[in-house]
Amino acid sequence: MSRNAGSDVKAAYLFIAPAMIGFFVFVGYPLIRSFYLSLTKYNGLTDPVFVGLGNFRRLFTTDPSFWPALRATGYLVVLYVPLSLVLGLALAMFCNQRFAGVRLVRTLAYLPVVLPAVATITLWKFILDPQVGLLNTVLDRLGLPTSLWLQSPKMAMPSIVLVMLWGVGSTMIIFLAGLQAVPTELYEAAKVDGAGPFAVFFRITLPMISPIMLLQVILQTTAALQTFNQPKILSPGGGGGPGFSTNVLMLGIYNNGFPTLGKIPQLGYASAQVWVLFVIIIAVIALTAKFSSLWTYSDSTSD
Amino acid sequence: MAPASQAVRPAKKKPRVIGTTAWYVVALFVGAVMIVPLLWMITIGLKSGTAVFDIPPKLLPREWKWSNFVNGPKAIHFPRLLLNSFLITGLSVIGGVMTAMMAGYALARMRFPGRKLWFYLFVGSMLLPGVVGLIPLFQLYKSIGWYDTWLPLIVPAFLGGNPLFIFLARQYFLAIPYSIDEAAKLDGAGHFRIFTQVMLPLTRPAWLTMAILAFQASWNDYLNPLVYLYSSGKWPLSVGMAAFISPFAGKTPDWSYYMATNLLYMLPPLIIFFAAQRYFIQGLGALGSTNQK
Repeated sequence: MSRNAGSDVKAAYLFIAPAMIGFFVFVGYPLIRSFYLSLTKYNGLTDPVFVGLGNFRRLFTTDPSFWPALRATGYLVVLYVPLSLVLGLALAMFCNQRFAGVRLVRTLAYLPVVLPAVATITLWKFILDPQVGLLNTVLDRLGLPTSLWLQSPKMAMPSIVLVMLWGVGSTMIIFLAGLQAVPTELYEAAKVDGAGPFAVFFRITLPMISPIMLLQVILQTTAALQTFNQPKILSPGGGGGPGFSTNVLMLGIYNNGFPTLGKIPQLGYASAQVWVLFVIIIAVIALTAKFSSLWTYSDSTSD
Repeated sequence: MAPASQAVRPAKKKPRVIGTTAWYVVALFVGAVMIVPLLWMITIGLKSGTAVFDIPPKLLPREWKWSNFVNGPKAIHFPRLLLNSFLITGLSVIGGVMTAMMAGYALARMRFPGRKLWFYLFVGSMLLPGVVGLIPLFQLYKSIGWYDTWLPLIVPAFLGGNPLFIFLARQYFLAIPYSIDEAAKLDGAGHFRIFTQVMLPLTRPAWLTMAILAFQASWNDYLNPLVYLYSSGKWPLSVGMAAFISPFAGKTPDWSYYMATNLLYMLPPLIIFFAAQRYFIQGLGALGSTNQK
């Protein structure tokens, strides 16, 4: 800490001012404003009309698309998050070994993450085409069953999760950093004690990276809850179909708040949807953090 | 701890000889899953428009249509969209990095009342989902005449739009020995000079990492430009490319044109990735150590 304090104050606030303004404009204001709007009927042109909990009542009782949206979002999270964590950790452990070509594997695994979402999602749209797509062709050649993928109500969401999992490199890279921070003495000691690979994984690796696992659960779940690009680009007409199969909450928010030509935006109603999603996200974070002490290991000597 | 120290790889035991073959099978499989879709894209980009719909699909083009790389981009006014993307991305990179470095410097190396509070507010705001801002900010921008301009895509970066960057910058500044700026202070340098002439050169890996991440985020962003930009002449490539394949007026998209253009769209992030792989790994390594601070 710098010793000649006091004179710093003015300069410090100058340095921090842009970020401070940003905090008020992009965090404080939207929180208050979107909560207020969620209690109103508002089309963006005339003044908002206060309707109390009317939007929420409509969402939960009369809107035919809300429960399917909630279900689709839940399905996506339940399917994507565990797979992403397990595959990401497995890949990270694989890439943490020493063998010729490991750098190349690591690079290739991370490659899809740096590519633009629009570019990769549209590429997958073509790969998943039932007639001329690469995936069905390969499956057919191998004598495996093919699928209608995005065009089938049953397989549409798994297809979207498949596309999302192609970007598992983002999960991998964070786990990899965590694995590399585990002190090697621990592994050496375990080796001396004659511990098998399972014991090493469950007694050393997993406890040591549990704080990162916690971070990952929160990051991946909140990101999955806000999935927009994949269903928007992959579903026919961007409507979340076929049927309601990929009609996630974000699509409803977008379509109500920023509708296509000829429709009136329902910004109050969309804000109510935002708040439902927001409460779910907060609940997930709070629950994960609350129960984290049960399964995360913390070294009481550090910090 | 400095993010750079993450680069040290621990020595791990070598896989046993018996398992080596299995090892390479897995490596080959992982590599193939990641690279084959991209190679497939290149072949589509080189096929003629009708060959794309061959059943069963052919791996290699019958005739190599290099002209797709000219005609595809022409179909969506590619140069215009490319320029838009570069301008939007360039400005938001500058803004995002500058603001975060300044805030990180203040939070790590200056003493002022509210220092802790602001740190927690910034870190806490990382948890605020972007969706909460979508509608109020859209209305705000609309009311001040920013709708259908690039300002909503650029100005937020200058106002600390990415709290993760502030966090990363602070972590990096904490790792620099205080004797360095004490010496500069004795020589009569103010904070501005210390920041620009002493700190910025010392923290090059930090701000390069942020610049790369900011480039990627802005170049790849789809939702924000989709919401804020109405005129197709102002679109960045992300929105233009998505519109390219959405079938309108009953016209099916020309996939070979599209994939050729898609390759060009991917090229800048790809080049940066290969040129700066080290920074990608390091920068995200710092994120991985978030909880170990």
